[in-house]
Amino acid sequence: MKIKAIIAAVLLSTSVVQAEEINLEVPQNVTLEQGLEAWARMYEVVSHPRCSNCHVGESDRPMWSGPSYGKARPHGMNIRAGESRIGVETLECATCHVGSTSDQPHTPPGVDGDWRLAPVEAAWFGRGSLEICGQLRNPETNGGLSFQEIAGHLGHDVVLQFAWKPGGGREPAPYSLEEHASDVLMWGAAGMPCPTE
Amino acid sequence: MKLTVNGTEHTLDVEPEMPLLWVLRDELKITGPKYGCGIAQCGACTVHVDGSAVRSCSITVGDVDGDVTTIEGLGTPDSLHAVQAAWVAHQVAQCGYCQSGQIMQAASFLDLNSEPTDEDIDNAMSANLCRCGTYPRIREAVKTAAKTLNEA
Ligand code: FES
Ligand code: FES
Repeated sequence: MKIKAIIAAVLLSTSVVQAEEINLEVPQNVTLEQGLEAWARMYEVVSHPRCSNCHVGESDRPMWSGPSYGKARPHGMNIRAGESRIGVETLECATCHVGSTSDQPHTPPGVDGDWRLAPVEAAWFGRGSLEICGQLRNPETNGGLSFQEIAGHLGHDVVLQFAWKPGGGREPAPYSLEEHASDVLMWGAAGMPCPTE
Repeated sequence: MKLTVNGTEHTLDVEPEMPLLWVLRDELKITGPKYGCGIAQCGACTVHVDGSAVRSCSITVGDVDGDVTTIEGLGTPDSLHAVQAAWVAHQVAQCGYCQSGQIMQAASFLDLNSEPTDEDIDNAMSANLCRCGTYPRIREAVKTAAKTLNEA
């Protein structure tokens, strides 16, 4: 079956285009309290619709939610991203989400890379701070990444950078890409603490 | 700027921000792809870029990275693409406005998924709207085309 080969090819070629320079220096002498503050800001970002709408866990349906969408609902047109997470089984995300983001309202945003859903394990939509924190610091559910690698990945994965320049009148994720990456490093330097500790 | 459409290379004098659909229809007079909504909500403008379905209203010509195929280049009257032949066999079209987009979408879908389930077909085609409601015939024609392509 042809799909399998295509999925394999797609997974091998993750969208690493246009790196954005971010400072990856790990801060020293970070207290637990500072680490938890950094996590609180990180949670504001990861639970924001610009991020969580595509972090839908087991589901393969992207969400439409946030200030410009009214009531939260699954992506219109019965869009399914499938096991591939980029829709090759049915309708590729890139059929509409292709090229650059236009500033016209109601147009599909795009980036110079694969538009896609996040991996199943990175389930954020509707989840609380503790749950997401636990997922992000566990190598079994975070893609085996160190905190430095998580911060680094923000610098070169253009689909994530979309969250801060969404265009089309959409509300951007809070803070900035640079601030978010520096919070990841601060949280990591404090030992990746989660709120109950 | 150069753009290859249906095997012919064209030299264009347009802004790179111009949507591909405008270039096809207004500059190159290739009018198979239709304008329905302009915001990727209907599928009437669907073409292929290197074989993958793309909503031509929602990609700028400057962002096109590959060869474009429109319904005019999918098959010829003497040698129809399997999807076009299935469309004729099932007499799918009513007014026809959405149909070039439907056919282009179905052709690229079957290229990716040669053994679709009924559910796959519905999911793949659900972003192509048809005001005439030809959906049941579309589903049957996609099944027929899949069979033809698998036998080939
Ligand atoms: S005109 Fe392009 S999707 Fe409607
Ligand atoms: S045949 Fe009339 S809109 Fe589809």
